[in-house]
Amino acid sequence: MSDKRRAEIEAKRAKLAELRKARADRQRAETERRQTEPGPSSGARRDVDDLVNQLVGSRSGLDTGGDVTPSSSLPNTPPRPSTNLLYGSTLSPSGRVSRQSDVGSDRDRVSMGTTMVGMMEHVDRVLTPRFIPDLIDVEQELFELPQRERVIYNKEVQTTAIETETPQVSEVEIRQQIMRERELEEERIAQDKELEEESVQLEKEIEQEIRELTEEERSHILSAPEFLDFVEQSSKILQRALNDGYDYIRDYTIGTEANGDDSEGKRVKRICAFYDERYGKNRSITDVDWSPKYPELSVASYNKNPAALNEPDGIVAVWNLHLLDRPEFVFHSQSDVLSVTFSPFHSNLVFGGTYSGQILLWDTRSKHLPVLKTPLSAAGHTHPVYAMHMVGTQNAHNLITSSTDGTVCSWLVDMLAQPQETLELIHAGHNKTGEVAITTLDFPDNETTTFWVGTEEGNVYQANRYDRAGAKAGLNQYDIYKGHAGPVMGLHFHPLVGPVDFSDLFLTASVDWTVKLWRAKSLAKPSTAAHGISPIYSFDEADDYVYDVKWHPAHPALFGTVDGSGRFDVWNLNTDTEVPVVSTNVGSGRAINKLQWDRKDGRRAALGGSDGKLYVYDIGDMALPRESEWTDLQKTVAGFIGGAQANGVVDGDATRIVAGR
Amino acid sequence: MPPELEQTLALLSSHRSVLGYLLLSRGDHVSIIRHSGVVFEGEQGKKYASVIGKMVESVQAGLEEVSGSENDGDQIRFMRIRTKRHEIMISPDERYLLAVLHDPAS
Repeated sequence: MSDKRRAEIEAKRAKLAELRKARADRQRAETERRQTEPGPSSGARRDVDDLVNQLVGSRSGLDTGGDVTPSSSLPNTPPRPSTNLLYGSTLSPSGRVSRQSDVGSDRDRVSMGTTMVGMMEHVDRVLTPRFIPDLIDVEQELFELPQRERVIYNKEVQTTAIETETPQVSEVEIRQQIMRERELEEERIAQDKELEEESVQLEKEIEQEIRELTEEERSHILSAPEFLDFVEQSSKILQRALNDGYDYIRDYTIGTEANGDDSEGKRVKRICAFYDERYGKNRSITDVDWSPKYPELSVASYNKNPAALNEPDGIVAVWNLHLLDRPEFVFHSQSDVLSVTFSPFHSNLVFGGTYSGQILLWDTRSKHLPVLKTPLSAAGHTHPVYAMHMVGTQNAHNLITSSTDGTVCSWLVDMLAQPQETLELIHAGHNKTGEVAITTLDFPDNETTTFWVGTEEGNVYQANRYDRAGAKAGLNQYDIYKGHAGPVMGLHFHPLVGPVDFSDLFLTASVDWTVKLWRAKSLAKPSTAAHGISPIYSFDEADDYVYDVKWHPAHPALFGTVDGSGRFDVWNLNTDTEVPVVSTNVGSGRAINKLQWDRKDGRRAALGGSDGKLYVYDIGDMALPRESEWTDLQKTVAGFIGGAQANGVVDGDATRIVAGR
Repeated sequence: MPPELEQTLALLSSHRSVLGYLLLSRGDHVSIIRHSGVVFEGEQGKKYASVIGKMVESVQAGLEEVSGSENDGDQIRFMRIRTKRHEIMISPDERYLLAVLHDPAS
């Protein structure tokens, strides 16, 4: 097709060239004709030539060319011939002649009316004895004047000369001829223009035609790094757009098949399961967090894939709810990442604690590798870091990390070269070793200097970061929260939200299949002797290790647990304290390692499974607390404590209960 | 063709509602780098390519006309053209262009 077109274009081009040539010829012929048509005009040229020769040749050429000389226009200049020659030598003959003729014609036009007078003047200026023969000359001039007019190379003048001088009979004919010619000209011009336009368009089309790429070009393009970046970026955007399932030009007036609606109420719905074939295969999720800035982003950390030795041991993936097929960002690490958290103060930073004890900092703006790392030295951690927590405010914040050898370090975000402070939690009263193997750590809401840790032996201890009145920095050995028979896997304090403050209540989940509710002992009265503190309540519903427990961020009586059989339980203490409200089987029965409610309103929960999948569930309206929830919870907790008191387990503090703490 | 690229594009074209994609290089003349799907085969594909190229050019020209005077003029980031039958999503760049044809109703 393109060849044919090209041939067509070539033909048209040739035609165009011919036409152009023809037009040029015609124009030349036209001008020639115009020049030759009026006989007098060519005659005029001959006359002019004669005049020029005469003027140049003779020094006193005043007989016939008297008028033509510029001397006639310049009054009172006796040496006329010399001036003539001067002019003649410097100017081109035609210029001179035209000037002369201009001058002559001007003068003549002016003097037409006053012929006699002018002649008289002219004659006077020239030579008085020549008077009589000049008269004769004047007559000749009169005859010559119109001719000289024709000499002017001004088409207008020429045509006017034609019109005025040629006999009237042929004037009409000439006019008609001219008009006909003009019409023909216009037609030809129009035709030419059309052809030109067509050819231009055809050329454009050829240019714009899709060309095939040569193999070389293609491979060159495919290997360019900006091309890869472009494909990454645009495919992400496209996938997010594709994900949006809503057809916005849907017409609701057309009846369609009735959709089965999901049953409302106390149901927990799975939104999606994030899984990446490449990065999730054979790995387990070790920690989950939601982004404080972008509610659709969540992060999951993975441990190593024993089957793939070339892949990085630790992976951290940031997932976007709008982009289901692949992670937004993927970060690598040299060793398994065991804990991960978004920085609450910088939307781009992600912290991770690893199996080797290193704390890593990734930036979403850079690529896979961490931008900052803590050194693998004795200054930091040398044991796996299972728990991390960010405390403080925007301007003064620290990252608190704990490892299984009992070391708790506090870091400044931009200075990961060495910890700001290190704390060794040592339990002197322990029979075997003083070390406290920390598995989990949590700060009560609004507290930054004291925290509770859960250990591998099943006890929960309270620790202080700094010395304070009545308590030293380090582990508080006297208050031992005894209750669990196995390692404590999860510990979470009640969030401070709502009219009533429950922030001294915390939940623990353990390998002994139970979840226990505790009340933290007030720090106002430090103990001096070691004594055990018992839980307020114990939830024994689970059939497997309970891996994590988390209070709901908005609803005071709601909390969730995940266990080793792949179950996700949502409990509501105001509804029922024995059984969970909703119990869902997540995934294929593999254990769920971590649970995290989303920060905004707690409608969604992210569950990290040991199969490498990140499940996101929506609990719907259950997340909305009613006004009475707080007071109801107070009553419930009072009921717990009362029951415990009745059994003589907890040292009761009646005043506290009545005050509703 | 690096494998990640292959994978990404394969993922794109295997989406349930996607009918095909077209990877073009912009410039003086548009040329197809890669395409997939029945819709973009052969002549039809070339037509689509030239049409999409022209559309992006004209929209960009319009944008420049409207906003060219303010510092740095606007640039097309993403185009979604919903027709009766399909939707074309075009993600243009300085040098390249990725267009996907999909059927949102499916």
